[in-house]
Amino acid sequence: MRKRRKERKARRRRRVLGRLIGIPALIYGGLFAVFYYDLDGKLLYYFVEPFMKNHFDRMERRDPHSVPYGQIDDEYM
Amino acid sequence: MKKPDFKNLDIKKLARDFIHGKPHEERRLGDLYIPGTGLYKHREWRGIKDTMYYFNNIWLYNYGNIVMDLFRYSNGNPKVLLQFLKGTWRYRWMGQTYLTVLHWFDRGLEGLRGEALKASAWHYRALVSASLSQIVGMFMRDANIGGDPELRAKTMAHDETVWGGIFYPYKDQMENIPLQMIPYFVTCHCNNHTVLNYIDSIQSLGLPGDPCPMCQAESGLYVEDDMPDFYPAYITTNEACDGSVATSIITDWLAQKPLFAMPQPMQFDDDTVLENCAKEMEGAWRFTEEKLGVEFHWDELVKNLEAQNELMRFEWEKWDVDANTPYYPVNGVAQALYRIFQSQYGERWIWHQVDAKVRKIMEKCVEERIETFPKTRHRVIAWSCAPLYYSNWCTWAYNCWGLNVVINMDSLMFDMEIRTDSYENTLMDMAKYHEMAPMRRNAVGGLHHIFMLWENMERFNCDMVAMYDQLQCKGMQGVVGLFEDEFRARGINAFWVPHALPDKRTVPRSEIRQIINDYMFTVMGEEPLDPTLLDFDDSDSW
Amino acid sequence: MRDLKHLIYFEDLLQEANNELVRKGKDDGNLCLGYTCYFMPEVLLDLPGCFAVRLRAPKCTSPDMATYYMSGRTCHYGRSLLERALEGGYNFIDAQLATETCTVTCRFQEHLGYMDDVINNATFKTEFTDVPFKKNENSIDHYEKQLKLHVLDFLEREFGVDVSDEAIMKSIEINNEVNDIITEIGNFRKLDNPTITGYEFHVITLVSMVCPKYLIIDKLRETLEELKTREPDDKPNYKIKVLLAGSENDDPDFIKLIEGCGALVVADRFCYGSLEARGHINVEPGDSPLRAVAKHYLLTSQCARFMEQREMRNRKKVIADYAKEYKADGIIVASNKFCEYWSYERMIDSIVLPRDYGFPVCSIEKEYINTASGQLRTRFQAFVESVELKKLQEGV
Repeated sequence: MRKRRKERKARRRRRVLGRLIGIPALIYGGLFAVFYYDLDGKLLYYFVEPFMKNHFDRMERRDPHSVPYGQIDDEYM
Repeated sequence: MKKPDFKNLDIKKLARDFIHGKPHEERRLGDLYIPGTGLYKHREWRGIKDTMYYFNNIWLYNYGNIVMDLFRYSNGNPKVLLQFLKGTWRYRWMGQTYLTVLHWFDRGLEGLRGEALKASAWHYRALVSASLSQIVGMFMRDANIGGDPELRAKTMAHDETVWGGIFYPYKDQMENIPLQMIPYFVTCHCNNHTVLNYIDSIQSLGLPGDPCPMCQAESGLYVEDDMPDFYPAYITTNEACDGSVATSIITDWLAQKPLFAMPQPMQFDDDTVLENCAKEMEGAWRFTEEKLGVEFHWDELVKNLEAQNELMRFEWEKWDVDANTPYYPVNGVAQALYRIFQSQYGERWIWHQVDAKVRKIMEKCVEERIETFPKTRHRVIAWSCAPLYYSNWCTWAYNCWGLNVVINMDSLMFDMEIRTDSYENTLMDMAKYHEMAPMRRNAVGGLHHIFMLWENMERFNCDMVAMYDQLQCKGMQGVVGLFEDEFRARGINAFWVPHALPDKRTVPRSEIRQIINDYMFTVMGEEPLDPTLLDFDDSDSW
Repeated sequence: MRDLKHLIYFEDLLQEANNELVRKGKDDGNLCLGYTCYFMPEVLLDLPGCFAVRLRAPKCTSPDMATYYMSGRTCHYGRSLLERALEGGYNFIDAQLATETCTVTCRFQEHLGYMDDVINNATFKTEFTDVPFKKNENSIDHYEKQLKLHVLDFLEREFGVDVSDEAIMKSIEINNEVNDIITEIGNFRKLDNPTITGYEFHVITLVSMVCPKYLIIDKLRETLEELKTREPDDKPNYKIKVLLAGSENDDPDFIKLIEGCGALVVADRFCYGSLEARGHINVEPGDSPLRAVAKHYLLTSQCARFMEQREMRNRKKVIADYAKEYKADGIIVASNKFCEYWSYERMIDSIVLPRDYGFPVCSIEKEYINTASGQLRTRFQAFVESVELKKLQEGV
């Protein structure tokens, strides 16, 4: 009984330890894959930039012709 | 790409290449690109140590530090995240440009190994951090996206060519943020797609296509209404040329803010001009005090100048190693960009942090006699102003041809310490310093300045000149023949690098490479180190 | 209108830089001092024993040698000057009093100083003066110091010229006489039906800048007298009146081209024009003659390089005020290709002048010498028609 409990505890410990090491390792490995295969660049180039470009192209902007041209401040000339 | 020959696999060599990276001549870096895009099929394998350094200490570290810097520069204010998102959505130069920042590193650091990789990457880290300080500064204050009016009231904007040191006396009470450094200048290096919109928009208003495209883009930011509203007033200058003066005409109109013009004398060798320059600086101080309600703090000025002098002294140490040994660990593009940004923007903590790191690396290189660019065939000095959309051409030139750009003209600006022993001396030195701004130190005030090329060639032990040919720079175009005459008379190997500063459409990057290739083949009679880099398509690259 | 008596003579004087009167001035033992920019006060180059010549390169249409030195992407004016210098056309000048006031003319003048053999004249020297970008007291002080150091001291040191206050006053008097004559002649352009054409006036203004004043003043006086009685044509041979603003222009044929399209040029707000440049120099009590000169040239100039906010914004109003004063129906803003200052100034003029002041504007880019005039003619004709139409609609 005690032995089995011990084994269960050890298994749990190994699982926790495995997760503690494995999950960061997986993330690290995943990030390395993103880095090595330039997936960040590809995401930005093929998806993010075209989307943002489209957004900025459609943005309403002030008409410069509407900006007045009077004197502003006479003190520091 | 060349297919591997599985029958004759040399396992030992494969292992050696995996562990240490391939020898320079076998790298075939050109094969890594996806045609047209500048993206990599995969990033370069530099051997275990350097690849992992790149991944951990450059890629992960910088992505992480970008987030950290947001909080660092907003004093931990959580609102910064919202402001950052709003700014990214509001401004093209932000939303379309700066997300690609790690590719800026990639392009500049291609092919580097060991200490050169480390030192050059630290310089890039400083550039990113200093850029973020401005981005955060602008967005936290920007009225267009609900920024803080109290912060805004204590902020002076200025032309990017106004030296940031002008505001040292008020550093403890206000912030100074250059107007165009982030929305224009750094974008061109990071992702040159966006700047084209600004050039086109000013031309759509009736400006001809021939003025300096830098000035066009700067005015275009206002035409596109893409300039954050983070300041109650601003200071402009005539640095560096007629185009800069003329740009003020448009920015003044569209900014609609009180403006103080702080022009610098053109003939700066003449000591009698210093007084005029100093008085204009004092005028700028009075303007700042009145508009922001701040006070002149001498101690603050001295503190910041002393810190800046420290940066200058280290730069001289770097130049000494660069000029006299093969152990200098900073590549051409990192050297140029760091120096121009650091000396123009002014004193910031990040420069000191990075200088300390670079000092360590450089001392190690010197002590252990590490040849940082071992394939150097020619020591090149790059003169005049560089193509912003292809500032990393020198990384390519080293990888392809062994052309090591050891120094460039803009690095040599602001080449002085500033005395802090009395108000008068400090003022005069600050005046002199400001007159030695980028694109100006060597370009105005007499031909002998531009011809300081010859003494700097000797000083840095260079045997070749990369002569930038900014096609729309009237000052430089006005002396091309004299340079040709001098190159011939002095028997100097020089090639021209035509470009239009931020606008890649005028002279594409491939054309720049072709010109250098032609020169190296036909005039120098040399063969490339990496033939895959001779010709590749990066026409739509960032 | 009856032809002006001296017009052909004046035109002949403009055919080459080293004209008959320049040669005569040199034969009289005077120093010939070259300059290119209004900011080099001609009054200081007209001191006793000297005379000023504002450099031109008439008929220079293909500056090939200069294009080698300055590329094809710089202002045609600067290149043409260098071409003429390389051809030996300026060997007559004894010194070039230079300014770094616009990049390309600066580079031209630097070539003169740098290339030993370009001016074949043993005494030749180039001296640069720094010119401020503002009109405040600091700028006037600075400008005065610079003129003392780089003009007066230079002339005294190198050529033994008398640079005393008396000598400057004498030069101011002669210059004022010329300025007043030109201004008076120019005032005939304000008439409802002007008795002088823009072309004629530009020729007269130019000769006053490129010849020794003591040799040309009699003919200028005579021309003024002649104009006082000159009758205009019964039926005006123009359709509209225009003000011509913009960058460097010393080509009277350009104005002839405009007038040939039906637009009489009644005011000239450009480099080498008369407005401002031919104003009376006043010596205020308490000011030295040099101080008065510095003030005059700095404060009267409407150059596009002035950077103060008030100045930048006021320049448009000045043009509009001139247009009103000279009864112009429209404004032509012309800039030389590759001129940075006027590329921007022209752009904003073409927006602000119609919008805020109600003047139709024709905005054009030109070369120094305009050989390809067809396109320009079409532009001017279209502009004249549009202004005429506007006038008709307004019932004028």
